[in-house]
Amino acid sequence: MKIDAITKLEKADISGMLVAIILILVAVLALWDTTEMTDADSFVFPRAIAISMISFCILFIVTQMIYPSIEGNDEARVVGGSTTRRIGLVLAMVVSSLLMPWLGFLVSGVLAFGSIMMLAMYDEWTLSRRLLFPFAGIVIVIGFYFMFAELLLVPLPVGTLFE
Amino acid sequence: MIENLLQALTLFHVALALGGVIAGTVIGSLPGLTATMAVAVLVPITFSMPPASALILMGAIYTGAIYGGAYAAILLNTPGTPSAIATTFDGFPMAKRGDGDLAVTLACLASVVGGIVGAVFLLILAPPLADVALAFGPVEYFWLAVFGLTLISALSKGNLLKGLIGACLGLLLSTIGVAEISADVRFTFGSEVLLGGIETVSALIGLYCVPVLIDLVATSDKHLKVTHAPKGFRLIEALQISWTHKFNLIRSSVIGTLVGILPGAGGSIAGLVAYSEARRTSKNSDTFGQGEPEGIQATESANNATVGGGFIPTLVLGIPGTPPDAVILGALLIQGVRTGPSLFAGDGSIVYTFIFGLILATVLMLPTGLVIGRYAYKTIITVPKAMLVPTVSFMTMIGTYSIRNSVSDVVIMVILGVVGWLLNRAGYSPSPIVLGLILGSIAEQGFVQAWTIGSATDNLIGMFFGRPIGMAIILFIAATFFYPMIRGYLIGMRGNPNED
Repeated sequence: MKIDAITKLEKADISGMLVAIILILVAVLALWDTTEMTDADSFVFPRAIAISMISFCILFIVTQMIYPSIEGNDEARVVGGSTTRRIGLVLAMVVSSLLMPWLGFLVSGVLAFGSIMMLAMYDEWTLSRRLLFPFAGIVIVIGFYFMFAELLLVPLPVGTLFE
Repeated sequence: MIENLLQALTLFHVALALGGVIAGTVIGSLPGLTATMAVAVLVPITFSMPPASALILMGAIYTGAIYGGAYAAILLNTPGTPSAIATTFDGFPMAKRGDGDLAVTLACLASVVGGIVGAVFLLILAPPLADVALAFGPVEYFWLAVFGLTLISALSKGNLLKGLIGACLGLLLSTIGVAEISADVRFTFGSEVLLGGIETVSALIGLYCVPVLIDLVATSDKHLKVTHAPKGFRLIEALQISWTHKFNLIRSSVIGTLVGILPGAGGSIAGLVAYSEARRTSKNSDTFGQGEPEGIQATESANNATVGGGFIPTLVLGIPGTPPDAVILGALLIQGVRTGPSLFAGDGSIVYTFIFGLILATVLMLPTGLVIGRYAYKTIITVPKAMLVPTVSFMTMIGTYSIRNSVSDVVIMVILGVVGWLLNRAGYSPSPIVLGLILGSIAEQGFVQAWTIGSATDNLIGMFFGRPIGMAIILFIAATFFYPMIRGYLIGMRGNPNED
């Protein structure tokens, strides 16, 4: 019996169940937030969705406990490669976005581009690459800046440091 | 009519149509820049032109931008415009397996067919079809959104429950911010950043593109598999596939036109509904979502057909069918053109010259789309990873920022990207979440309005289940849900000839 339970647990979609538990908590939080709403027009729809989500999550967890199976996009589940580079990319995007109001779009854009370029580099930094890639990066950033700010008239932040 | 046709074919109008298509295609291909933005940005150029010329230019930009969205969807898994969401389902898998050039050509052909069908409907059936728009009430919109949600079964990749959970998450995310009907603030938890809700396009970029970037940066593997040196457009191959699935193209184009007529529905819903129907009726329904050309054809023909379809209520009723139509309507009012039922009689020459100009622009989309698409594909497969990843990351950031000029949207986009990546690892596909996010506001608005009217008239059941168009959509929903089961049962009854 104990071996059976262990085998079942090994076959079960643990990460899927973990996400389902987190989403149940999210739905409960949403339900709690709807208690402050007075107009039925505001809470009927989100409540119905939150309750449905809780039901589907519970159904998924129960199904996994009875008939454990890992289904879904198997290819996407394989986590290979460098986690450091992954985290680096996300940090570069978030930090440069947060710095945008102070440094302006152009400077923070160049910083983001440069740091992500370093993270995505797998070839050797030859002299030609050392010269060409940063130059091309600066041209791309300035090109997009010009296109958005001047042609499409998007008010990109100049940066409080430079005002 | 011949006179209007000749007027549309003047050198000035041909140049306008060509320039508009190129500008629209380029703008539409950049993630974050929508067709509405493309038209809005270039509208001031038209103020000094005669109304027919202005309409031709705006129509060309619009149709080009809708098509341009397919490039990023196919090559980067990022819908350039919301209309191209369903293009990612099969476009990116095709590109991943080395058929990106074929996918781009198929998308171009389908867009041209869809655009022409929409324009022909506009030319021939505009006044009677405009009445269809008026027959659509809140409950019909609600059922249409539900119909879009039936796609979850196709997008769940092996686990329907996970698809339903993802769709619920998307629907819940769509309710964040100020409620459209009651104006209550929902799920912001005191944060001003969330007051405006989660912007759909930035969520699309986050959920689709950021996970690709996260995986791309982690390994030295190539972004797309290259099975052959890029030579030519693979036009003959694409034409053969298009001819084989011609009914899919026509049906999807008609669906796109009809959805385009409905004010507020737009290209994304047209693409999703056409994709759902294509999958339901296809012999290859099992391969949808894994790089099935029919999926690309359905979406791209439908979203471009909404251009002509959207012009029907815009010109006949003065009600914009799609968001870019609202911008075009405003530009026409500035020009002193009064849209409405009398437009076709009073200013018929303007309207018919424009319609022929729109057909011209759509035809011109074929050579320009093929050339731009070929260079986009070649660029994506030849650019070193150290340039591709930062360029695409930068494009996602500037594109997201430009939607509402908000740094917060960029941060939310990245956060959603990380959440999407984590969910993908746990076997939850991002597509049902996106589906819920897009259809959420339409479903809620339709549901609440129908509920209010039904309660006030003491006929709630009749409101939801007693209207002919609503019932027709419900039948389609049932058919979409149960058709795979019935088909499987029938195949089982006939028996597998390969057995024994």
